[in-house]
Amino acid sequence: MVTFQQLIFKLSEFWASRGCLIQQPLDIEMGAGTMHPETFLRVLGSAPWNVAYVQPSRRPADGRFGDNPNRLFKHHQFQVILKPAPDEVQQLYLQSLEACGIDLRAHDVRFEEDNWESPTLGAWGIGWQVLFDGQEITQFTYFQQAGGLDLSPISVELTYGLERFAMALQDVGDVFDLEWGPRVKYRDVRHRDEFEQSKYAFGQIDMPAAELHRTHRELFEQYYVLAQTLLRSGLVLPALDYCLKCSHMFNLLDASGGIGVTERTAYILRVRRLAVSIAKKWTGAEEEEAAS
Amino acid sequence: MDRELLLEIGVEELPAAWLPGLTTQLAEKLDARLREFRMVPDAPVETYATPRRLTARVSRMPERQEDLEETVTGPPLSAAVTPDGQPTPAALGFAKKQGVAFGDLARVETPKGVYLTAHKRQRGRSAADALPELLGAVLRDLSFPKQMHWDAVLDDGRGELVFGRPIRWLLFLYGGRVVPFTISRTANAAGPQVQEVPSGAVTYGHRFLATSGRAGRSIKVRTFDDYRARLSEHFIILSHAERRDRILRELELKARKLSGRVLIREHAALVDEVADLVEYPGVVAGFFERGYLELPHEVLTTTLVHHQHYFPVVDDRGELKEAFLAVVNTSPSDERLIAKNAERVVTARLRDARFFWEADRRLRLEDRLDRLDTVIFHKKLGSYRDKALRIEKLARWIAADGFGRPDQADAAARAARLAKADLTTDMVFEFTELQGVMGGIYARAENLPEPVWKAIYYQYLPQGVEADAPPSRAQLGDAAISWAALSLADKLDTVVGLFRAGEKVSGSRDPFGLRRAAQGIIKILADRDELGLSGHLSLGGLIDRAAAEYGDGRADPAKDWLAQLQIFFGERVRHLLERRGSTSNESNAIVRTDTSLHELDPLEARLRLDALRRVRTSERFQKLAELFKRVKNISKGVTSEMSWAELVEYGKATSESAEKPLIAHAAHSVNLVDAARQERRYVDAFTRLADLQPDVAKFFDDVLVMAEDAAVRRSRLQLMARLRDLILSVADISEIIPSSE
Repeated sequence: MVTFQQLIFKLSEFWASRGCLIQQPLDIEMGAGTMHPETFLRVLGSAPWNVAYVQPSRRPADGRFGDNPNRLFKHHQFQVILKPAPDEVQQLYLQSLEACGIDLRAHDVRFEEDNWESPTLGAWGIGWQVLFDGQEITQFTYFQQAGGLDLSPISVELTYGLERFAMALQDVGDVFDLEWGPRVKYRDVRHRDEFEQSKYAFGQIDMPAAELHRTHRELFEQYYVLAQTLLRSGLVLPALDYCLKCSHMFNLLDASGGIGVTERTAYILRVRRLAVSIAKKWTGAEEEEAAS
Repeated sequence: MDRELLLEIGVEELPAAWLPGLTTQLAEKLDARLREFRMVPDAPVETYATPRRLTARVSRMPERQEDLEETVTGPPLSAAVTPDGQPTPAALGFAKKQGVAFGDLARVETPKGVYLTAHKRQRGRSAADALPELLGAVLRDLSFPKQMHWDAVLDDGRGELVFGRPIRWLLFLYGGRVVPFTISRTANAAGPQVQEVPSGAVTYGHRFLATSGRAGRSIKVRTFDDYRARLSEHFIILSHAERRDRILRELELKARKLSGRVLIREHAALVDEVADLVEYPGVVAGFFERGYLELPHEVLTTTLVHHQHYFPVVDDRGELKEAFLAVVNTSPSDERLIAKNAERVVTARLRDARFFWEADRRLRLEDRLDRLDTVIFHKKLGSYRDKALRIEKLARWIAADGFGRPDQADAAARAARLAKADLTTDMVFEFTELQGVMGGIYARAENLPEPVWKAIYYQYLPQGVEADAPPSRAQLGDAAISWAALSLADKLDTVVGLFRAGEKVSGSRDPFGLRRAAQGIIKILADRDELGLSGHLSLGGLIDRAAAEYGDGRADPAKDWLAQLQIFFGERVRHLLERRGSTSNESNAIVRTDTSLHELDPLEARLRLDALRRVRTSERFQKLAELFKRVKNISKGVTSEMSWAELVEYGKATSESAEKPLIAHAAHSVNLVDAARQERRYVDAFTRLADLQPDVAKFFDDVLVMAEDAAVRRSRLQLMARLRDLILSVADISEIIPSSE
């Protein structure tokens, strides 16, 4: 039995042994590991970079109060970035599955077309979902653009959905029944947070909905202005922090029904513009460094 | 094997949907390049594809390129040589460009004078020498629905090589020997992990399966037969047809073990798709809880087929069983190991579906209309709620006035009002492909009558223009009229609205699916007699009414979008006729480019086409068609002013004996042709026109239309114009004269 935490250890050890730095999660709310600067910024420019890390990912609209066996407010991604994408990357990936105890001959592991796109990050790529006996366990993407910029060289991003992967390895049908560590269930670790965060995400709090929406809007505006100011001051990484804050506020607004359709598009565009300026600033800084 | 060409482009997994197209493309592009390179193959190019390889083989190839001999014409002698016999710069430039000495240029006499020519001979290279350049060209020729950068470069001066997926190996043999070729990598990426891809004599088998040794190691091959045999030993079935057959056999076998069967015909597209998702297919059986069978079977089928690519299993009565069959890319030693995981995914999806099914039904469709206000139909045309309210009125009018079935008007209007409500359900949010179908199912669950729920259920059909495109009469049951009214109303609202908003269709760009919507409209109208609806109904009338819902009065034909719609619908009706076997000349005869929308009824067009095809072979008709060309020419620009009665009066007075019978006969035919047309007896209408042929012929033989006497001339031109209008009212038969085919 591979526990949830062992799965993280095994993946970390495997990728460290293949030359990846092991980074830590970014301590800011985000929807996916791609938004971590170790991915979003490092794939820009030409400097090689190999890194792996776990990123807890919050998706307010997926919150189900801890009642749904497959959907979570917050799940965990194991993210690997290899830049440039090695020729052997599929082979490496399959070896990582073996390192987690999967007998590839006994199962049906397939790469099925699934291109990835993040409108808020101005990023997209070509790739697959990796299906393990019909269950998607990894998104495998050759990045083509990030922050609206064409990439060269091409990076590959491997995003393991840790909960789904662990469910397949442990053969359980309910995420809360996963063994997180010896004799400790996922339920014991995560259930209360799932319940409380879902209540918040769907506005079941001691505040009228309109007021909650207003709060989130105001926070969005404050973070937005701050991000722009930081960017103007040449501080790319703090600017990205507050860009992510904006994105999270937008997700909360969206989940609690505080946003109309046209407004929704406008919010996405604003975050995207911010992300694009951050990416540009970052690559500019890199060029200056190279020149000095 | 001496002269066999074998190419395998080894790639990372290509999307299944691309393989059929790439198989064809590779054959076409390779063949075209071989011809361009003057190596016309002695045997056809055979191609194959699996997710990880594109393979081409030519069993017999020429050994070298044919020699090239050509003569190029240069400047005229007058401009090539000065009066004192020296070559001009123009002449020297030409010689240099052609790579020959000035003294070797020849002279040629032409009707335009004497010219200099260069005669060039280029010896063909051996195939092995020419093939590397050819491969580079072929790799660039292949086009993909979506291409990617993968840090690859070709040394052909054109730089980066984009492709569908990264190329990992190239097997490239001519006569059993490797043809040297290399894909280089960009400087940014190149290094120990990113290396050039040289051609070689090796291929690779299945990723995980091997009878002996390590799976996935390289396999050396020399010939195509050898290649195919070695692949087969290493668990790769090269041909799509063989993979497909194996899947069909296994499906049948496994289904029988479950005392069930798979509806292969219904899932033909899935069979083809899964055959291109795998290199070595096997089939595994999985199960789910019996309780899920209470879900609408459409939901079960969508989960299995669209989301998981699994096959539903039915019992001998055609009812779904609590089992599915999954095609896998392996030959499993323990099926249950794989099945358990597949079952977990299916169960998770079905559990979601059951949750949606229960939650969605707590809110009636009618009560969802307000929520539809937040779903945008088009930024200039408002929300889906706005659309629902427009099509409610439009569908009511179509049923009551358009079809003359006021008894069905309430059902049609009700169905239209509720048609889009399912867009706000969780089920459709999650299972987008079930839009419409789900609305119908929810309407049924609310105990709405069949004419309402089935109209909603089938609203997005028809998808094709074939006469038997679903839904069938039997499927529709009591909902035939309300369905036709709703389906038309929805599509008309979309097409008219988007054309008014300035959205255009051009080439492959049709983001709103306007062509499909227009075809749906035309197909329903063309076959409405099947539904017992055969009253007169023109596209123009329907479009006026749809535009009125957008606040336009009677549509003003001067409007730009209306002119565009006329062209658009004309094309679409001709397309339907041609898809049903008409030639383009016939469809042009039936739907002229200037046929107005108010004259255009697809049902009448279809029936007139049938009649035209029956009568067109008669000798009289053929001759009339030729004469009609003259009638049209001579009456060009002449508007009919004199009535037939006036023409008859003129005929009584005329002295020309060949003119009298034509006028009398034609005037007599007018009402008959008209009546036949009104009653859709088109064979009769055509026959009556054809009967005029001897009189028309005699008229042209004996009578001078452009008579000196102005009054006579005018009357004769008016006769021609009237005759023209009479024939055009049935079809522009000048289109079908034999010489123009």
